[in-house]
Amino acid sequence: MRRIRRWVPLQRLREFSLVIILIIVVLIFGNQIDNYYTPRTFNRISSTVALITLVAVGQTMVVLTRNVDLSVGSVVGFTAYYVGRYVSKNEDMAPVMLAAMAMGIGAGMGLINGLLVAYGRIPAIVVTLGTMAIYRGVLVEYSDSKSVATRELPDWIKELPQESIFHYGEYELRALPAIALAAVIIFFFLLLYGSFGRRLYAIGSSPEAANLAGIRAPRMVTLAFTMCGAMAGLGGMLYLARFGTITVDAARGMELQVVAAVVVGGVNILGGSGTVLGAMLGAILIGTIEQSLIRMNINEFWKDALLGLCIIIAVSVDRILINQLTPWWSRTELQRMPEEPHAAV
Amino acid sequence: MTADPLLEIRNVSKQFGATKALSAVSLSLYPGEVHALLGENGAGKSTLIKIMTGIYQPDSGEILLQGRPISLHNSAQAQKHGIAAIYQEPLVFPDLNIAENIFISHQRRNPLVRWGKLYRDAEKVLAQLGVALDVRALARGLPLAAQQTVEIAKAISMDVRVLIMDEPTASLSIHEVKQLFGLVQNLRKAGVAILFISHRLDEVFEIADRVTVFRDGQFISTAPVAEVTPEQAIRDMVGREIGDIFVKEPSPRGDVVLSVKDLSREPRFHNVNFELHAGEVLGLAGLVGAGRTDVALALFGIAPAQHGHITYLGKEVHLHSPKQATHMGIVYVPEDRRQHGLVLPMSLMANISLPSVKNYRNQFGMVQRGKEVTTAEQYRQQLSIRTSSLSMPAGKLSGGNQQKVVLSKWLNTKPRLLILDEPTRGIDVGAKQEVHRLINQLAQQGMAILMISSDLPEVLAMSDRILVMREGQQMGIFERHEATQEIVMAAAIGQALDVSAERAGVNA
Amino acid sequence: MQQSKRWAWLKSWEALMFIILCAVVIANLRLSEHYLDLNNLANIFHLSIEKSLVVLIMAFVIINGEIDLSVASVMGLSATVLAERYDAGWPIAAGFALALVVGMGCGLLNGLFAAYMGIPSLIVTLAGSIGYRGVARILLEDRSVGDFPNWFTSLGQDGIIGPFPLTIFVFIALFILGFVILQYSVFGRYVYAIGNNRAAAEYAGINAKQVKVTIFMASGLIAALAGAFYAARLGNVRANAAEGFELDIITIVLLGGVSIFGGTGTMIGVGLSLLVVLNLRNGMSLSNVDGNTQTSVIGLLLILSVLVPNLIQILQRLVPRLFTAMSRFLSKGGATEPKSQVSVHQ
Repeated sequence: MRRIRRWVPLQRLREFSLVIILIIVVLIFGNQIDNYYTPRTFNRISSTVALITLVAVGQTMVVLTRNVDLSVGSVVGFTAYYVGRYVSKNEDMAPVMLAAMAMGIGAGMGLINGLLVAYGRIPAIVVTLGTMAIYRGVLVEYSDSKSVATRELPDWIKELPQESIFHYGEYELRALPAIALAAVIIFFFLLLYGSFGRRLYAIGSSPEAANLAGIRAPRMVTLAFTMCGAMAGLGGMLYLARFGTITVDAARGMELQVVAAVVVGGVNILGGSGTVLGAMLGAILIGTIEQSLIRMNINEFWKDALLGLCIIIAVSVDRILINQLTPWWSRTELQRMPEEPHAAV
Repeated sequence: MTADPLLEIRNVSKQFGATKALSAVSLSLYPGEVHALLGENGAGKSTLIKIMTGIYQPDSGEILLQGRPISLHNSAQAQKHGIAAIYQEPLVFPDLNIAENIFISHQRRNPLVRWGKLYRDAEKVLAQLGVALDVRALARGLPLAAQQTVEIAKAISMDVRVLIMDEPTASLSIHEVKQLFGLVQNLRKAGVAILFISHRLDEVFEIADRVTVFRDGQFISTAPVAEVTPEQAIRDMVGREIGDIFVKEPSPRGDVVLSVKDLSREPRFHNVNFELHAGEVLGLAGLVGAGRTDVALALFGIAPAQHGHITYLGKEVHLHSPKQATHMGIVYVPEDRRQHGLVLPMSLMANISLPSVKNYRNQFGMVQRGKEVTTAEQYRQQLSIRTSSLSMPAGKLSGGNQQKVVLSKWLNTKPRLLILDEPTRGIDVGAKQEVHRLINQLAQQGMAILMISSDLPEVLAMSDRILVMREGQQMGIFERHEATQEIVMAAAIGQALDVSAERAGVNA
Repeated sequence: MQQSKRWAWLKSWEALMFIILCAVVIANLRLSEHYLDLNNLANIFHLSIEKSLVVLIMAFVIINGEIDLSVASVMGLSATVLAERYDAGWPIAAGFALALVVGMGCGLLNGLFAAYMGIPSLIVTLAGSIGYRGVARILLEDRSVGDFPNWFTSLGQDGIIGPFPLTIFVFIALFILGFVILQYSVFGRYVYAIGNNRAAAEYAGINAKQVKVTIFMASGLIAALAGAFYAARLGNVRANAAEGFELDIITIVLLGGVSIFGGTGTMIGVGLSLLVVLNLRNGMSLSNVDGNTQTSVIGLLLILSVLVPNLIQILQRLVPRLFTAMSRFLSKGGATEPKSQVSVHQ
C-alpha cells in the first residue's frame, strides 16, 4: 500500500476513479440500450466530445490560476464565423494557415481578457462576463447578422469531421477527436514538465508563496488566458467544420458546458490542482451520458438535469473524499502528529 | 572569521503609520557566523527580516553586501543576492509535491522539469538535512515540522550566502533540532552567514557566535556569546522604559466567574487550569505561538477545546460558537482588529452596534438609527473615540480609535467576561493609557477580564495574577506582587532563573 | 471641510450612474420623438420586468459575497411548473403556489451546498443552472403550453394604471421593500457585514451560514415569482424560458456599484444602473440596434466601470514613483530626493 501511495500521485488516482465511473456508466448504458457497443456509438460520442475537450484544455489553464473564462463560447462563435467567412472567400487557403488564423484571433481575444484581469485588476468573472457579451456583439456587427452556410465552405473543411486518422476495424479516430487528443497530450506534458505549467499550479496553489518565490503572476495569468483564447479559437474552426452553418448564436452557452467538464474532471475551481487529462475525462463522461441518453428510450430531456446532478455530485464527493484522503495518501515519514486545521472562521 | 562582514545593516529605520517598528538599527553578519537576534515580541525582528528579504523597503538606512550597497525591491532580488529566509510560519504550496516546493525558485533556469532528477536532487538536499521525506508527497496536510524542513531545504538548495532563520525550532522535536543544528554547523563551515532568531535561550547559547538584542525597535547590544549570560540577555530584552504606564488599582475580588480545568486542544495547548473572579484581571503572558490565543478562541467558541471542563457562572458549559458565547456574556477582543475585530468599510456606529443590533429594532424590524447614534455617541464620549463623525468608516480610524470601537461594540453587549487579546498592540501611547484606564474601571465594576499580552510592563501593571504559557503548556500562575519582568520572561522562554528557583508554588 | 463634504456625494457611484442615466435619457430624447410616449415608457420597464425583479435579490446575493447563476433556470423551471400543472388541470393559482415552493426549494439546495458544504457558489449555482433547467425540460420536453385564462395573462400584459401593468407595481413594491431591508434592517446589516468580512461578522456572533441560506432561498423565491410573471406576459411557456437571463441580471447588479467580492453597493445604485441599462437598451432599440450588440455595449460599460477606477488608482501609485525616478535621474551626483517628500502625494 505504501508503495502505491508513493508512486501514484493523488491526481492520477482522481483520474483513475473518473475512468472507473466512466466504465460503470458505459456498462449501465450498454445494458439498457440495444446495439450500444457499436463503432457508431463510439464515433458519435468522440466527435461530440472533441470540441468541448479542446476548449476545456484551455479553460483548465485559466482555472488553475484561480480564474475563470466565461467568454470562451463567444470566442468560439466569433472565430467560427470569421474563419468560415474568410475561407469561403479564399478557398485555396491552406488548412494549417486557417488553423493558425483561428488560434491567432482567439489568442488575441484571450490576451485582452488576460490583460484586463492581470493588469487591470478586475475579477476574471467580471471581465469575461463583459467580454462574453462584447465578443458576441462584435460577431453580430461583423457578420451583419448573416450566417455562414455549409455550401459556401470548401470541401476539405466539410469533410474534415468524417476524415479518419486511424482505425481499428470500424472504430475510427476521426480528425476532430484526433486534434483534441493531440491538444490534451501536448498540454498534459506541458503542464507536467514545463516550468510554465508548474508556475501556473504554484500561483493557484498559494499566491502569497508564489510572490515570495519570485513568480511573476500577472504575466503567467495573462499567458494562461491567451492560451485559453487560442484553444477556443481552434475550437471555433472545429465548430465550423462540424456544424458548417454558423449563425450569430454559434456556441452560445458553451462556456457552461466547458466549465462543467473542467470541474467534473477534478480541476479545483479555487486553483492549484487538476490536469487537462482530468478535464478531458470530465468532458467524455458528460458527453457519454448526454449522447447515450439520446439513444435511450426514456426521453432525452433528462440530460441536463443529470448533468447538473453530475456536477454537484462530482464536486461534493471530490471535496469530501479528497480532503479526507489527501493527508493520508501523502503521509510521509516525518509526520509526528495529526495536524489540526487552524480555527477556520 | 574574516575581517569583512558579508552583510551589513546600517541605520535602518521603518515606520508603519504611527508605530516605529525599527529606529536606526545596525547589524553585521560575518561569513561562517551564527548570529542570534533576541528580542520580545514586537521588538522589530520580523520587520528586519522582511527588509532583508526585500518584502519591505526601509524608510532610511542601507544594506551592504560585501561592502556594496544593494537595494532589494522583492524577494526574487534578495534570492539573487543569496539572501534567503525561513519563516516562522512556513509558506509552502499545498498542491505541489515536496520536491517541487524545494526547487520552485530554480525552475526559471530550466524550461522543462526533469522529474527524476528533481526527485533525486530533492532527496539529496533532504539527506543533507538528515531527514527522509517522501519527496513525491503533496505538501498539503504536511505537519508543521515537515513544512519547516521543506523550507530549510528550499533555502539551502539556493546557494544561500545569508540565511535568516526565524524561530526555526519552534515546532521541531529535540531530535529534529539536533539535526537542524548539525546542518547549521555544516552551513557555517561552508561560510554561510546565519541570522538565528529563537526564543529558546539554551539553543541560542548552544549554537550562536554572537548575540544581538533588540528592544522596541531599537538596537540594544551585540556581544560574543562567551561574554553574555542568559540573565543579562533577558535583562536587555525586557528592560523597557516603563515610563508613566498606568497601574491597575486593586479591586474587590468577587465570585468565580470562569473556572477552567484541564482544558486541551491538541496540538495547540494542553491542560490549562485557572479560575477567574469577578473584578479580576488575569494576565496571560507568553511568547507568540505559546497557545494563548488558542485558549481564548476555545473560550469564545471559535475553535472549541477537545478535553477539559469550562465552568461559567457556576454551570458547566460547552462553548461551540461565538454566537452562543456572546449570548452568555463572554466576549473576545481579537488580536487582529482589521481581520476579526471590525468590518472596516462599515461605519464606526454600525460596528459598535453590530453584535447587539437586534436590540435596536423597532416593531417593524428596522434598525432605529436614532438609538444607534445615542449609543455610539455615549461610547464616543466615554472612551473618547476621536473621530469627526460617527458615520466614518472604521477602517479610516487610527489603531487606537479602532480598538476603542471594538471595545465599545463588546461593552455594549454588557458582558460578564471580557477576553482581551493584545489590547494595546500597535496603538499610540495616549490611547494605550486610555485603554488601561478603561480596563481598570471595568474591573472595578466587577467584570472578569482575561488579558493576553506580550507587552511585559503592561502585563505586570494591569494584572492581578499572571498565567504564563510556553509551547502550549501552562508554566505557572504568579501573584502580582511576586512577578517581575525577569521571572515572567524566564517562564515564557523556559529558562530557569535563580530568582524563580527561590519561589515556591510555581509548577513550571 | 464643510464645502468638500457637501460635494462628496458627487464622487459616489450613485452620482456617476445618475450622470450616465441623464446622458442616456438626453440621447434618447434626441434620438426619437417617441421616447417620451407613455407606451414607450411603459415598455421600457414592461419588457424587462422579470429581469428587473431578479436584479433586486441578486444585489443581496452579491453583496453577501456569493453569486447565483441559477436564477434564469429557476425562472424557467417556475414558469414550466406553473404551465405543466395548468396543463394537467390544476387551477393557475395552485400551480403558481407550487412554482414558488419549487423556486424556494432550489434556493435552499443552492444555499445548503454553498454555505454548509463550503462549495463555491459559482460552482453550486452553475450546476443548479444546468440541473434546474434540466428538470424543466423533463417536465415540458419540447412542448409549448399556453392558453392560460385571460385574467392571468392580463395580469402580465394589460395596463392597470394607464399602460402600466400590475407587474410594474409589484416591482416597485419589492424595490422599496428590498431597499428598506438592505439599507435599514438588522438583516441588511448582517448582509453587509458578512459580505465585507465574514470572519469579523462571525466573531461578532452572527450566524453567517443561516443568513446565506436565507438569501439563496429568497433568490429562488423571487426568481420563481419572476418566472410566473414571464409566463403571464408571454402567454405561453417553453422549457427554455428565460434562458441566458442570469448574465444580464448580474451585469446590472455589478454596474450598480456592487463589488463581485461582496460588501459594497446600495439598492439606489442598483436601481439607477437598472434604469441606465433599460433606457440604453430602449434607446438602441429605437435606433434599430441588434439585441446582441446592445448586450455588448452593456458589457463594455461593465468592464469600463471597474477598469477606470482601478487605472486611476494604479496611475496614482505610478506617477509619484516616476517622479522620484526622474528627480533622482536629474539630480544624479547630487543628493538624492528624500522619499518622504514624494510619499505625501499618495
